[in-house]
Amino acid sequence: MSPSRSTNASTDPSPTTGGRLAARSLALAYEDRTVVHELDLTVPDGQVTVIVGPNACGKSTTLRALGRLLKPRGGAVLLDGTELARIPTKQIARSIGLLPQTPVAPEAITVSDLVARGRQPHQSWWQQWSDEDERAVTDAMSRTDVTALADRPVDELSGGQRQRVWIAMALAQDTDLLLLDEPTTYLDIAHQVEVLDLVRQLASPAADGTRGRTVVTVLHDLNQAARYADRLVAMKEGRIVAEGAPGDVVTAELVHEVFGLEAVIVPDPVTGSPLVVPGAPWTPPTPSPSPSGPASASAPTPGKVL
Amino acid sequence: MTSETPVTVKSVRVRPAGYSVVKAGPRGRFLLHRRASLVAAALLVLLAAVCVAYLCVGESFVAPGEVVKVILGQPSSAELVVGTLRLPRMVVGLLVGAAFGIAGALIQTVARNPLASPDIIGISQGASALTVGAMTFGITSYTVLPYLSVIGGIAAAALVYVFAWRGGLHATRFVLIGIGFAVALRSVTTLFLTKGDYLVAQQAQIWMTGSLNGRGWPEAAPIGWTLLVLLPAIAWAARAQRTVTMDDDTATGLGVRLGRVRLGLVALGVVLASVATGTAGPVDFVALLAPQIARRMTRTAQIPLLSSALLGAVIVVLGDLLARKLFSPTELPVGVLTAAVGAPYLIWLIIRGHRGRSGGTA
Repeated sequence: MSPSRSTNASTDPSPTTGGRLAARSLALAYEDRTVVHELDLTVPDGQVTVIVGPNACGKSTTLRALGRLLKPRGGAVLLDGTELARIPTKQIARSIGLLPQTPVAPEAITVSDLVARGRQPHQSWWQQWSDEDERAVTDAMSRTDVTALADRPVDELSGGQRQRVWIAMALAQDTDLLLLDEPTTYLDIAHQVEVLDLVRQLASPAADGTRGRTVVTVLHDLNQAARYADRLVAMKEGRIVAEGAPGDVVTAELVHEVFGLEAVIVPDPVTGSPLVVPGAPWTPPTPSPSPSGPASASAPTPGKVL
Repeated sequence: MTSETPVTVKSVRVRPAGYSVVKAGPRGRFLLHRRASLVAAALLVLLAAVCVAYLCVGESFVAPGEVVKVILGQPSSAELVVGTLRLPRMVVGLLVGAAFGIAGALIQTVARNPLASPDIIGISQGASALTVGAMTFGITSYTVLPYLSVIGGIAAAALVYVFAWRGGLHATRFVLIGIGFAVALRSVTTLFLTKGDYLVAQQAQIWMTGSLNGRGWPEAAPIGWTLLVLLPAIAWAARAQRTVTMDDDTATGLGVRLGRVRLGLVALGVVLASVATGTAGPVDFVALLAPQIARRMTRTAQIPLLSSALLGAVIVVLGDLLARKLFSPTELPVGVLTAAVGAPYLIWLIIRGHRGRSGGTA
């Protein structure tokens, strides 16, 4: 089995128009508990798809199944029309890269060594390093701005740096599709924005017109999702409730339906994307209706506190 | 955000830090860890020195020049002492040490735990139980016993693996169940010892400590062949080790069939540990010590197999040299010495591990 590395799907313009990755009547379960029911989803190529939903709605579970980390109980995940279960896992790894929620690095590994391990699916026992490997690793590290950290042990990095290194590893894998499970967790707001900007950059077409990468990610923050997604998928209790461009999907009704939250939707002052503003914060029930606090005066508060 | 062109004029090429690319043939490209290579070379020199010392020192001292003569097959007055008595025993020690070193490295890698070694997770105890059991039932032939202990070791490991398996191999569960089996099997051995004949019990006790006493070419051949036949598998393992050091999701994402790779690595380690135990008895702590020290020397992200093997060999040969000489003319079993060094190290490892956990703020 000599994998000639010419099967580098990321550069040749793929003939498929819709989406390389899709789920068909997908059912997912842990033990006896069914978490996702009859889910149909087509991931549009070259776009950023963000899955949102309340805790335990099955969004991370769905992402895991898209990356063959979880076997479907029913239905299937299709890559280029073929069931994932029928494709050798190493071959999948040349098309789908994934970053788990809490990846663990080997003890004492250096940054460049870890990023280089993203090349695993392109290597073999007698070809442990190629020019292509070197190009991909160099490129991935410069895109995530971790080149200066190359010789540092991963253990010594800050949370933001570490996350960029992991993304670099996923990038070095050089796949058409990238699945990122909550890539902004544990990061402060500046690093969150940095990571999400990088995601957008990855999906944007290159200068020579080749399509950008396809990214599927799970995000907790609805506003960030609305800002950065081309396509938003809202899930609740293991089902897709709404799907489409953020401007079409994010409405006060949907936020109420999915999250059970009363909120006002206003245009984001910077991007114009929908911005979810929850109802007024809880205030101590003032027994006497004396107008002491400014709390209830200003905002239109549809939020019923009970 | 304007779409930047990533192809800036940048000549800095990134390679994994500390590695060199070695070309072999038209297509072969190997990653070689520079420090690990240096460490292995240094250990090889050390091992050679220890071996020469081993052959020189004994009840009678033989000059190094004579030793070299014997090794090169030239006629020498020391032919009997060196060539017939010391050399075969040393070769057995070398092979046993190397096998324990590799076995420990592989099992520790899969278990992701420095405490997981064949003498802790029940492999040595399985070998002991079956061997001592056979001894008490009158089977004392040294042509049969080694095979029994190989079977005992593999059977114990298989049991641990089956009991630790629950839809996947959980590293901590594997170690804990192994420790449980080790205790249970040890009590079985004790039962055999107390039931058995006094003389047999004493013989069994010596075997259980791990000794090279009386070992020679007949014992060297089977373990030598085993290592030789398994060499391709060991070469595979050296590379496969890389992937199992990552978390399950990441490794799967990289296209690694984790279940198979883990089983392969454990099986290889178990066979090597069992054969080594069958040859010299359970020489305690070698499989635990060698990989951990080797890794601290190479500072690699995974346990280096070659250095573990070399260090295992150094420990056993040096240990046996001291065991022969220290209380001369009384010969100690080599296992007594490795335990004397290994036990404090184990305690240190545990203390250090706890400190690392409680003070781990970085």
